[in-house]
Amino acid sequence: MTTYQGSTEKRTFIDHLAHWITWPRFIFAVAMSFFLTSILFPFYWMLASSFKTYAEIGGRHPVYIPHALRLDAYAELFNPSNPSFWNFGHNIINSLEVSIPTALIAVILSTLGAYAIARLHFRGKNLLLNSVLAIYLFPGILLIIPLFAMLSQIGGKLGFNVQDNLGVLVFTYLAQTLPVALYMLTNYFRTIPTEIEQAGLIDGCTRLEVIWRITIPLAIPALISVSIYTFMIAWNEFLYALVFLNSRTMFTIPIQINTIFNDPSPRPNVVMAASTIASVPVIILFLALERFLEKGLSAGGVKG
Amino acid sequence: MTVSTSTSSPPRKRNWHSLQASETRLAWGLISPTAIIVFGLVLFPAFFSIWISFHQVTLRNLNDVFHAPFIGFDNYRSVFTDFAFKYHNLLNMGAAVTSVVYSFLATIFTVIVGLIAALLLNKPFRGRGLSRATFLFPYVAPIVSVAFIWRWLLDPRPSGVLNDLLMRLNLIHMPKAYLATRGLALVLVIIFEAWRYFPFAMLMILARLQAIDSTLYEAADVDGASTWSKFLYITMPELRYIVGAIFLLRLIWTFNKFDDIFLLTGGGFGTNVLPVLTYQFSFKMFNFGKGAATAMILLLALIIFLAAYILVVMRNVEEA
Repeated sequence: MTTYQGSTEKRTFIDHLAHWITWPRFIFAVAMSFFLTSILFPFYWMLASSFKTYAEIGGRHPVYIPHALRLDAYAELFNPSNPSFWNFGHNIINSLEVSIPTALIAVILSTLGAYAIARLHFRGKNLLLNSVLAIYLFPGILLIIPLFAMLSQIGGKLGFNVQDNLGVLVFTYLAQTLPVALYMLTNYFRTIPTEIEQAGLIDGCTRLEVIWRITIPLAIPALISVSIYTFMIAWNEFLYALVFLNSRTMFTIPIQINTIFNDPSPRPNVVMAASTIASVPVIILFLALERFLEKGLSAGGVKG
Repeated sequence: MTVSTSTSSPPRKRNWHSLQASETRLAWGLISPTAIIVFGLVLFPAFFSIWISFHQVTLRNLNDVFHAPFIGFDNYRSVFTDFAFKYHNLLNMGAAVTSVVYSFLATIFTVIVGLIAALLLNKPFRGRGLSRATFLFPYVAPIVSVAFIWRWLLDPRPSGVLNDLLMRLNLIHMPKAYLATRGLALVLVIIFEAWRYFPFAMLMILARLQAIDSTLYEAADVDGASTWSKFLYITMPELRYIVGAIFLLRLIWTFNKFDDIFLLTGGGFGTNVLPVLTYQFSFKMFNFGKGAATAMILLLALIIFLAAYILVVMRNVEEA
């Protein structure tokens, strides 16, 4: 690209643009705008639709900009005095009750496991890591039938109900998230130099003390990103919740949105309001911790 | 993916009280909770699934599943002759062929879009960080939300955004039901997959692009190479392995994906794929044996893909 510097003539804006624009820049600008529009417009549409009234939603033409920030749709979700109240607050709590324990337990267990794989020598270590990774590729739909049958049997013997049991859901989510958590943390622990831990061991710490006082503080960024991932997987999960949850009071957010969508009298503004509530936390979490997360996304290959 | 470079210690005589033995015990203690959950809730069910596929399991005997009658290959026969499974014609390909067409086309499209996005974000420009974060939105948002946004954009009523745009541009005169039109529905589902999953390909390709030795490009500049030939002879060869790995991973995941098609079309209008069919057999018709037999086809495909992955990708990683 040639630049014309040092010309004493005053250039007009058009001249300036004509000099700045080169074919590569033009193509870049067009492609970039295409990408940004096709990504942002659907999300704008979700947010905008959620603030529309039923009249704006049901009109002959789409309303591209809502006339005002009307909370009609949100009232249907949250206001008990609304005729078509969805009790969505309950679903948010259910989702949190599933996602937070999944994230916490997954981080604790995978920290221990990843430390063992990254630092300790034992026979069958690589086989174990590779089989956990291979297991990660097993699809949920393949496992849902035997899990359903198996857990009903165990539940019958031990006297707990498999259906509508959020604890059961946490267990199945752990099986889905632990492999990737283990893999990500193992890779991270391998990047921490062992010398500090060696010093700790020489000073008389036990292995568990070393993990608690040295490794975990050094691995905080990785632990945060793993817990966010596992949280996101559990928060977004659809199939297992669809199969294991039956009563509306136990539904997690995704299942409740599906129910609202399939309601005989469809109200897209309510679906979009609920979808906004489901998306906003994960997008905010993601943006806030983007720096940690991107590395993990590409390193771990989070299943999606 | 990194290959472990653990320094293996020389074999020593094992003694319960030796340092090494206690380390081994500690290691198994640390790893066992994870291992038990993962193997118990994945590996055992996978084998159990094979068992179920040879037995007659319905809602009636689900509570007594271990005494379900053995029926040999009946479940498989019933799947292979099922109307929803078999190939009929180009607009009604049946779940088996649709699965293959859908997952290959969607994966190829996803990788191409991901490659373009990675190339766009590779060179520094103002707002690059923000653009990259924005590009990841479709991938991190819940599938339920994005699927319903798309259904709402493609709404068959005249108030649907796509209908409105095309009618204003005079390209169509009557509103169309895009996701309820055979052929078009499959194309749209494939476009949706690329829209949702390109960020994964983009991130992995971008990481590789940033690692390419810049002296290669400097040398090419000295030789007067064009942008296109630099892309063709430097960038592409450097990306070969990572693109292969992404392709296989995405192919596996897309082939087994249930949520996307279930939420977009419910498996109707020529978009039924094996995972959705598995769900329908098991949880709509409550014929778990038949569902498990359908899932076995998925398992078989997974094993073939995994073997390909290990043969192609793992070997190349070790060479590199």
